Amino acid sequence: MCRPWANRDVRPYNVGAVNTNSLVLLVLLVLAVGAFGYNALRLFRLLRLGKREDRFDRIGERLKSLLIYVLGQKRVLEDPYSGVLHLFIFWGFIVFSLGTIEILGKGLYKGFSLPLLGSGQPHQYLAFLQDVFALLVIAGVLMATYRRLVLRPERLGGHFSDAAVILVLIFGLMVTHLGASGLNILLNRNPSASWTPVSRVLARFFAGLDLANGTEPFLHSLFWWSHILLLLGFLVYIPFSKHLHIITAAFNVFFRSLRPQGALAPMGLEATETFGVARIWEFTWKQLLDLYACTECGRCQDQCPAYLTGKPLSPKKLILDLQGHLLSQGPALMKRGRSPGNGNGHALVGEVILEDELWACTTCGACQAACPVFIEHIDKAVDMRRNLVLMESRFPYEVQQVFKNLENNFNPWALGWDSRADWAKGLGVKLLSENGEAEILYWVGCAGSFDERNRKVSRAMVNVLQAGDVDFAILGTEEKCTGDAARRIGNEYLFQILVRENIETLDKYRVRKVLTTCPHCYNTLKNEYPQFGGNFEVVHSTEFIADLIDVGRLKFRKDQELVVTYHDSCYLGRHNGIYKAPRRVLRAIPGTKVVELPHSREKGFCCGAGGGRMWMEEKIGKKINLERTEEVLAAKVSAVGTACPFCLTMLEDGIKSKEAGESLKALDLVELVAQAI
Amino acid sequence: MAGGVWVFAEHRDGSLRKVTLEAMSAGKGLAGLLGEELAAVLMGEGVAPLADTLAHHGAQKVFLAQDSSLAKYTTNAYATVLSQLVLQNQPSILLFGATAQGRDLAPRVAMRLEAPLASDCTALSLDEKGRLVATRPIYAGKVIATVLAEGSSQMATLRPNMVPISEPDSLRKAEVVKVSAGPSPEGIRTRILEVVQEVAGAVDLAEADIIVSGGRGIKGPENFAIIRELASVLRAAVGASRAAVDAGWIPHQHQVGQTGKVVSPKLYIACGISGAIQHLAGMRSSKCIVAINKDPEAPIFKVADYGIVGDFFQVVPLLTEEFKKLLVEG
Amino acid sequence: MKIIVCLKQVPDTAATIKVKPDGSGVETEGITYVINPYDEFALEEALRIKERLGEGEVTVITLGPPKAKEALRTALAMGADKGVHLSDPAFEGGDSYATAKALARAIQGLPYDLILCGKQAVDDDAAQVGPAMAELLGLPQACVITKLEIDANRKKAVVHRQIEGASEIMEVSLPAVFTAQKGLNEPRYPSLKGIMGAKKKEIAEHNPSSLGLSPEEVGLAGSKVKILKLSPPPSRATGKILEGEPREQASQLVKLLREEAKII
Repeated sequence: MCRPWANRDVRPYNVGAVNTNSLVLLVLLVLAVGAFGYNALRLFRLLRLGKREDRFDRIGERLKSLLIYVLGQKRVLEDPYSGVLHLFIFWGFIVFSLGTIEILGKGLYKGFSLPLLGSGQPHQYLAFLQDVFALLVIAGVLMATYRRLVLRPERLGGHFSDAAVILVLIFGLMVTHLGASGLNILLNRNPSASWTPVSRVLARFFAGLDLANGTEPFLHSLFWWSHILLLLGFLVYIPFSKHLHIITAAFNVFFRSLRPQGALAPMGLEATETFGVARIWEFTWKQLLDLYACTECGRCQDQCPAYLTGKPLSPKKLILDLQGHLLSQGPALMKRGRSPGNGNGHALVGEVILEDELWACTTCGACQAACPVFIEHIDKAVDMRRNLVLMESRFPYEVQQVFKNLENNFNPWALGWDSRADWAKGLGVKLLSENGEAEILYWVGCAGSFDERNRKVSRAMVNVLQAGDVDFAILGTEEKCTGDAARRIGNEYLFQILVRENIETLDKYRVRKVLTTCPHCYNTLKNEYPQFGGNFEVVHSTEFIADLIDVGRLKFRKDQELVVTYHDSCYLGRHNGIYKAPRRVLRAIPGTKVVELPHSREKGFCCGAGGGRMWMEEKIGKKINLERTEEVLAAKVSAVGTACPFCLTMLEDGIKSKEAGESLKALDLVELVAQAI
Repeated sequence: MAGGVWVFAEHRDGSLRKVTLEAMSAGKGLAGLLGEELAAVLMGEGVAPLADTLAHHGAQKVFLAQDSSLAKYTTNAYATVLSQLVLQNQPSILLFGATAQGRDLAPRVAMRLEAPLASDCTALSLDEKGRLVATRPIYAGKVIATVLAEGSSQMATLRPNMVPISEPDSLRKAEVVKVSAGPSPEGIRTRILEVVQEVAGAVDLAEADIIVSGGRGIKGPENFAIIRELASVLRAAVGASRAAVDAGWIPHQHQVGQTGKVVSPKLYIACGISGAIQHLAGMRSSKCIVAINKDPEAPIFKVADYGIVGDFFQVVPLLTEEFKKLLVEG
Repeated sequence: MKIIVCLKQVPDTAATIKVKPDGSGVETEGITYVINPYDEFALEEALRIKERLGEGEVTVITLGPPKAKEALRTALAMGADKGVHLSDPAFEGGDSYATAKALARAIQGLPYDLILCGKQAVDDDAAQVGPAMAELLGLPQACVITKLEIDANRKKAVVHRQIEGASEIMEVSLPAVFTAQKGLNEPRYPSLKGIMGAKKKEIAEHNPSSLGLSPEEVGLAGSKVKILKLSPPPSRATGKILEGEPREQASQLVKLLREEAKII
């Protein structure tokens, strides 16, 4: 009979061990750690299939991310129910990890003690924490079980058995811990008994059972070994489970992208034979690490406008499909070695990711904003698009017109580039080519220049600027599309041509400050042009107007009597964090009552036009703009304010489709302001 | 006698093409200025009766080439006969209609004879030396060119509907000169297998000369019948805006616009289409745009050549009626 | 199968064309140039034939100023194999006659089974070069085609030719000249891989003497139709809103379309 506790040790926290058992434990430990190590190494080597990428910069910021998002669980907590249960289990894990080291250490060598804890008091704190967290973790596990079995949120989907195994394992670990700890008290071997209230209750419970002599030590031994076996089993199981994230998530958060959210990864077009990502190993190691980090929580899917309107895309599925592919094909790839060229691994698009899936993405960023472990979905989608476009010229039929129009007329609509400034005729707007300089360059954008509806916004902007006595000018026919859509559709080549030409023009006039009403222009100019040496101060109309109001340069006269809501533009909001300025502007208009939509701010719902989707047919599922329009209609407002020409177009279209034009108007905030001054 | 102004007399289904009569009318003016005779070249099989019509329209002479090898138009057979005739008679000017046939034949004959050819002319005149001066739109009509044809047997193709047809005189007779014609010596290298008439309403958007489109303003799928009726009178293709396609009123292949088909017909009639930019991007380069819409503020009116602010259900059936009067009955 | 595609670089169709004040030509400042859209259909068809047959060679040929080489590069990026550029100041200002002559001469020196070009160039809108070349090369022609099926074994093609209100289905012996109409296909967009690859493809240069022509035979000197003057079109009142009762509006519109726009 095993009696690991027979040797009465009076160390503060003690589960006890003897030599023969130490040997068994040692063997088990070596086997388990070996198995874990082997599989971890296998995964690590698969990561190294990926291309190089520097994610070792700005270490301080990275450490801060760890504090906030790993230890602080900030993003996880954004969903209260799952957030709290995860917090219990996560912190339980931390506490128990420390305890586990000690248990195992002692199991092998009785004099073992965690170096930092020394002896005495701190061990009692740890014992206390473990005792309490065991209970909290059990609560977490029960909550999770209830969620899996009863609440069953759609986003969890699939892999139920994996989740079940894990919950059972965790539950088992806690129960065995408490069991062993309680019996330890009963056996008078726990000097920290006063620090472990839960165990004390259990001890009383065991005492009440009035067990036969010798049963208690046996039970204790059973709990202890069960705990150890569960623990080691867990270790072996982790690399095969979504629970791998307990290791990878922290790394993923540490190595997260510190680029501005709205900026796509830069891409060189020289000195390379292939462009974009066709095969799994053409991703960078960090993009592959993303695949390991996925916890399958499905928060991304829950926010994805494409998924929610019945498109074949789910960001979660995208990541898991790539993960599955990496795990199944990676080993063979490692053997063959990788090199550009065909026959080296399967093409991802068409085999792993459907084309319709890939093109469904609006790059709205809702998935990335929701992901607790900072997986970068958009870059992966765009990298695969880049490959299709740049290598194979494969893209939805409609897109070709856009590319050609951008090439020949620098706008997406096949309208002559020389009519770009026609909207401004008779408004007294200065042209930089005539005046040479102005305090602010008003970057009008293609929609504001060519689209009849959005030209009204441009004219309103001019009214506001003139009313605010702002010294501004436009580029007129020298302005070209910033290239936002081209880049997001995957045509990096065309994008870079437009960027170079625009930067040249802006530099020619020594432009310093750029104002724009278009969040896509804003994002590209502000976050992506610096990748090509174009550094300008970029402000969005809503920020600019909010400032004008603050300094009292805009005076409102008319009372509006308007119940209005604001639709967050993805590229203004999520990608650039501008939530307050538009709301400040709305509230400043006298007589305006502002109502928030259910999906707003970080959880704003895309209009459906981002990522080049503005130029593609939406043939699958429900139209995203209709989904959003319905949400707006349900808010019972008389106007929906927008701050993006694409959003305006999409919502107005949605309102027309719903034949709701009488009761609901879509207006750019600039128009609302212009009406009121 | 050398010289003369000639018109290649194109016919179809037993009657002369309208543009042939227009060319006769233009040729008559030129012949008068030159003081030369007006002649027509008539080729085919069993087409002799048409010589009278040509005479009524001013032909003093009709060269008539009849042969089974000319029963259907083929480039080579026609070019061979016509070139020989021109070579033998050295007319000063030779006119064709700027039709599928004229535009196929004229360049071939002109090159064979090393003669100048002005295509798709909208007006013809002479300079002081009696050389042919033609007005022709280029750059899709964005520029008008005045060109001079230098050399003997100056040729031109005349765009339909540009010259009014002069009053026929049914008493006039022409000298009919029979021209021998046989199978082309080079052998037959082209053969017409079939001529498929376009079914009204089934005309392909991309190739259509006229397109009638419906949008959200036509209110429902059943009302495309009104559009189709107008289209069938005009032999036009049926188009639609994205809104109409999205609503499921008509299949996607009818969609005109940025994300549908980009078209540039001679005439585009937009019914109940407000003119969102994505639609305009697909039809703006049409030669002539007609907009029918209830909303006078609709952006479509900004690009329309002719606009009717009115009710689709009232205006379009009346329009169909008017076109019918003109094209079918008149 | 060896296929030759003739193409021309023309101003983008959305470009505003301004006539020089003296009427001698059009302003070229700021104009974006593209491959003539109808020639693009021809090129696309050639590429598809080559792909369908699994063998062949597509040679693109153009006559134009040095800048026109861009059009050849684009065509090579789309997948053409070789380029031929007829570039010399002497070629400038030529009419269809002179252009067809030079092109036909260049083509005579090349192997071919099929020649494709657009039905017309959208700048001079003459629609002559295709049939004129066919004449010079002694080949049959089919103009304004919307469908082309090649039977490589029998050396025949079946084409659909657009004529007024109908389409003519015609069998043509190869080699032959075909001119492409919209509807024949949807031209592809060159991939970056194609653009990079095109830089390495060969473009042969020609001037009149290398074609065995004297400078007097080409360009303006060799032309038979000469431009006397260019002018802007008479400005038509755009956006004419028709007033009156629906019936009046309808009859007014029909009248205007017939008499003013001259379409019906």
